Amino acid sequence: MSAARSENPAGAALAADTFRAEGWYKLRRLLGSWQGLTGMVLVTLFLVSAIFAPLLAPYDPNTLDIPARLSGPTWQHIAGTDQLGRDTFSRVLYGGRVALYVATIGITVSMIFGLLFGMLAGYGPPWLDNILLLLFDVIRSFPTIIIGLAAVALLGPSLNLILAIVIVTTIPAYARLVRTSTMALRNTEFVIAERSLGVTLGGILWRHILPNVIGPMFILAAMDVPVVVTVEAGLSFLGLGVLPPTASWGSILNEGYLLIRQTPWPIVAGGIPLVLTTLGFTFLGEALRDIFDPRLGKGR
Amino acid sequence: MLEDKLNRRVFLGSSAMVGGAALFGLPLFAKDANAQAAKLTVRSDQDISILDPGYMIGGTEIEMQNAVLPVLLNLHVGEDGVYGWEPSVYVEKFEERDPTHYDFTLKPGFMWTNGYGEFTAEDVKYSYERIKTTDWSGNFEPLDHVEVTGKYSGTLVLSQPYAPFTLTGLTSGPGAILCKAAMQKVGEKFTTEFPATCGPYVFQWTPKQKLSLRPNPEWTGPKPAFAEVDGLLITEPSAAELAFEAGEVAATIITAATYARYKENPPENSALRVAGALQYMWLGMNTEHPKLSDIRVRKAIQHAVDAEQIIQGAYSGTTEKSNGIICPGLIGHRKATKYSYDLEKAKMMLAEAGVSGLELELKTLNEQERVLSAQIIQSQLAQVGITVKVIPLDSGPFWEMGDEQKGDPKNLQMYLMRFGTNPDPQEATQWFTSDQVGVWNWERWKNDEYDALYKQGIAESDPEKREAIYLRMQEIMEDTGAYVWINHEPEVFVHRKDIKIDVLPSGEMRLRAFTKA
Repeated sequence: MSAARSENPAGAALAADTFRAEGWYKLRRLLGSWQGLTGMVLVTLFLVSAIFAPLLAPYDPNTLDIPARLSGPTWQHIAGTDQLGRDTFSRVLYGGRVALYVATIGITVSMIFGLLFGMLAGYGPPWLDNILLLLFDVIRSFPTIIIGLAAVALLGPSLNLILAIVIVTTIPAYARLVRTSTMALRNTEFVIAERSLGVTLGGILWRHILPNVIGPMFILAAMDVPVVVTVEAGLSFLGLGVLPPTASWGSILNEGYLLIRQTPWPIVAGGIPLVLTTLGFTFLGEALRDIFDPRLGKGR
Repeated sequence: MLEDKLNRRVFLGSSAMVGGAALFGLPLFAKDANAQAAKLTVRSDQDISILDPGYMIGGTEIEMQNAVLPVLLNLHVGEDGVYGWEPSVYVEKFEERDPTHYDFTLKPGFMWTNGYGEFTAEDVKYSYERIKTTDWSGNFEPLDHVEVTGKYSGTLVLSQPYAPFTLTGLTSGPGAILCKAAMQKVGEKFTTEFPATCGPYVFQWTPKQKLSLRPNPEWTGPKPAFAEVDGLLITEPSAAELAFEAGEVAATIITAATYARYKENPPENSALRVAGALQYMWLGMNTEHPKLSDIRVRKAIQHAVDAEQIIQGAYSGTTEKSNGIICPGLIGHRKATKYSYDLEKAKMMLAEAGVSGLELELKTLNEQERVLSAQIIQSQLAQVGITVKVIPLDSGPFWEMGDEQKGDPKNLQMYLMRFGTNPDPQEATQWFTSDQVGVWNWERWKNDEYDALYKQGIAESDPEKREAIYLRMQEIMEDTGAYVWINHEPEVFVHRKDIKIDVLPSGEMRLRAFTKA
């Protein structure tokens, strides 16, 4: 019996210490690499700016000031104003909230369902595996943006529709990952031992499989955030995402594109956060993979 | 009206472009010059959906009809800007015998495609008597019937004298003539394929890509200046501008913001042309919708919207504020509205109606100016406590939403609408009569006085009396509370200097009349 499973309180404390020490070690490694550090800084910036947008934004993002329309960067409006005289900087900050909302909810819900379906497919009977796999592959065979365009044409633009599309199209990716890991685990000795001791299916999945498959999921999730953010921005750019006057980076870019001959500032202001967020999450995902995926480390 | 200007910045900019193009071996201009001799490429801003003149939406559909179908008269705009008519190439003679009889004689030898024989007076009779039974019957309201007096000759008989008929009926989109035999064969209606045509071109459609006009081998009339014309479907105005500046298209309609910019700084080798300002835009409200059925709510909205802000914010101040549906320069143009921008009054009226926390949908075409206008209205109505949800739509679903058969007109709430018209007030007023409810009267009100005045307006020939009639009609419209008048948007085209374009005041290109300059 391993130390972690011991009933001895001293042993449990020791295990917790080891775990904490390992956590600190990994965090130090993460911040020690330039990719990890840059990623963390950019992601923190994104999170802080989005969460605290109402405090940071100098103006209400939807207040019109038509006489001040299309001004370049000034001390009053550091990123200029748009066609209706709204402050672009404030709109960019609020646009981050839309991106954060879609990314957080989209990725979290997809992860939960991905885990559930993936474990069921990997651990359950072969017929269930086949049905789920077929379903995953059918969904994955559609390009996300095209489903998005079709759904919006039928149901009209809305943020929640984008969210639903993101969730539905992301679940299979996670589920497939979890399924493979679960299949690798289902015939390992500790799982067989648990089964022979009469542990319920739920117990095995929750206590033994889940902790082993969830690590790679987080890495994948970090890498998926930019994809989700760009899907939202892409659909909003096409006028099929958020409804006016809500600011989203995509809709700011769209307005900027229409005005590109008059002023470059909206494009710059809407493009920079999109680029930085994408870079931030990609770097973070890469760094996390380097640390948490031991096989990759040895290969180098 | 031609406007062109060369200044230092344009010169430097274009020199840099030419230098850049030469450096990278891009024979941009040379390629175009060669291509233009045989083929003209213009921008079409909207895909077709129904080409039948009786059931069309208009716009590019009228452009295509004009290129392939015969008409009796063409609109002629004089040097002084006065609108008149001239006989088309199909017509030998057209004259007014008396105020209710117009005699015409067709030229012989014009053949319909697909083996439907010669274009005769029977086709004229069939087309004009049929159009009176369709959605576009308004323009032909004054026509009683057509008498055929010979193979090529006939008489248009009006039910009462109506001088503008030549302009409003015969030179308008629904004045296009169809082939009787072909129409009877296809069941009196068609959608995207002409059953037979009789023009210098034949029409070919590549959905979502282009509208093509190819030479008609059976055409015996005067050859057009361009053997082939392609209308590239570019709905997005900025993309169309880029296409023009890159030399992809030789002519395109442009937006108000671009017009303001091109006036300052026109692109290389280009000229601007203002076709007319025969457009009227308004914020419409469905009087039958439960949320808007109380007239006090609608009137409150009239008081809460400031059209001036929309003109400044969404149209760069380039358009004229409207006070009704009749455009500037026409009989019955209104100089002022009865309501004024007054937030206090709006709040009071809402309170009187006992309405609070009202939430409304505002549907608009997904175009820059319209979406901006909608957002300004959204912000203005928020000031009186009305929450507006702006829903941008593509042109297909937008134009069908008020139609009884295709859309869901009863659930429509508010929308930004713009119609184009011709140089007579009758055309603009025809869409709001009782029988247009569920067709184009999306506000869904009926008024007997309006219907009666509409008929009187057609019958009346005294300009002063007509003026009074049309002013009163617009007042009735405004009193329904269902309209907030916004602006008259000019239709402006930019085109290359080496071609001469021909556009109708309502903004349609007459492609068969384009020539090399």
